[in-house]
Amino acid sequence: MSSTLCCSFAKNVTLRSSDGQTFEVEEAAAQVSQTIKRMIEDGCTGSVIPVPNLTGPVLALVIEYFKKHSPPSDGCPTALLEMEIKDWDAKFVAVDNDTLLDLTLAAHYLEIQGLLDLTCHRVADILNDNSVEKIREIFHIKNDFTPEEEAEERSKIQWAFE
Amino acid sequence: MNEITLDLLPQDCFEHIMSLTSSPQDVCRLSLVSLPVRSMADSDSVWERLLPSNYEEILSRLVSPLLYSSKKELFSRLCKPQLIDGGRKVFSLEKSMSKNVYMLCARELSIQWASHPLYWSWKPFSQSRFAEVAELRTISRLEIQGSFHTRLLSPRTVYGVYLIVKFAGRAYGLDTLPSEVSVEVGDFRSQGTVYLSRRESKKQALECMDFVKAMRSKVFQERQGPRERRDGWIEIEMGHFYYGEGEEEVKMCLKEVKGVHLKGGLIVEGIELRPTKQ
Repeated sequence: MSSTLCCSFAKNVTLRSSDGQTFEVEEAAAQVSQTIKRMIEDGCTGSVIPVPNLTGPVLALVIEYFKKHSPPSDGCPTALLEMEIKDWDAKFVAVDNDTLLDLTLAAHYLEIQGLLDLTCHRVADILNDNSVEKIREIFHIKNDFTPEEEAEERSKIQWAFE
Repeated sequence: MNEITLDLLPQDCFEHIMSLTSSPQDVCRLSLVSLPVRSMADSDSVWERLLPSNYEEILSRLVSPLLYSSKKELFSRLCKPQLIDGGRKVFSLEKSMSKNVYMLCARELSIQWASHPLYWSWKPFSQSRFAEVAELRTISRLEIQGSFHTRLLSPRTVYGVYLIVKFAGRAYGLDTLPSEVSVEVGDFRSQGTVYLSRRESKKQALECMDFVKAMRSKVFQERQGPRERRDGWIEIEMGHFYYGEGEEEVKMCLKEVKGVHLKGGLIVEGIELRPTKQ
């Protein structure tokens, strides 16, 4: 039925993650990523597009984002739709901290500005809301300062808190 | 699989995170997390974004040039008051919000009868940032005005305007009537009344009167009375305004011209414009 209304079916592309999983996605949706958009424009669409920096689970999440953010086929997005997408975005990045950093890196590599803003905002909120010790714990950071160095460092930034 | 940690994020990704919501204090705190995080948090590109957009202009107007080896160091230097414009203004950065603060010296203001030595005297004052302050000898008409261009302020910010003063031991007549204060920017006008100095014994009776007055007219608001500052001076609130963007003139005024009584002993250092904490 739809073929009689639409002149062509949506074109799909296949993306392959670093661990060899493949995903099929509409070309228009995948072009939410500037990196993939360039690859498509350069004529890589015939074969599988490798995404070597993302594992399967992360790529699957990114594809969910693509689908939600692909340009609407029927013209301009409405204010209602924009609000719905905003809600969806907030839920989308309410993930564990490791996944959050994976998504941040993915957005950076794939040049997905909206997703990068979204994840970076959330990371910034976490950094602003937590103590130094808690930040190390949340993001698995080893404290490589000696106690003397840390004390010196604290005295160096004292001006900001006076 | 290698776990991704914060210190493995690319520098531009980290800068993006820093630019979104982090205050200078948050960025400083982050430098304690680890050595790799510190090197990212201390980078010039992170601090360049925290500096005011017109910082190069500010630097060109400094009375004594600043020496600094990084943008972070420059930021911390600018948090301390710096004389600009030939010593007639002081610039500093409000460090928790990274916004511009200015103080205009008394010579930059228009004080009625200030050049008449019978009413006002100009003198150096050891506790002042400026070369001179104005001391009120005695007068019945007190009128102090100032103006400032918004272009130098931080955009999208609520600014408070404060008269910075001290009282000489012989101060008199300053708490008899409240002064009228106003701040005007374009079509916006904020006005009110404020007591320059109030004796405790008088305070309660006056508060009753003010309450009745406030009920009658909501346009006029009584400003917070004199408040002691950390620098030892006293500030008197003249009003507030919101600065969005663009170029306009802020006109500030304090006057007490209704009482015919004499007053004296007010030492005026200048007017400060600073962002109010949200």
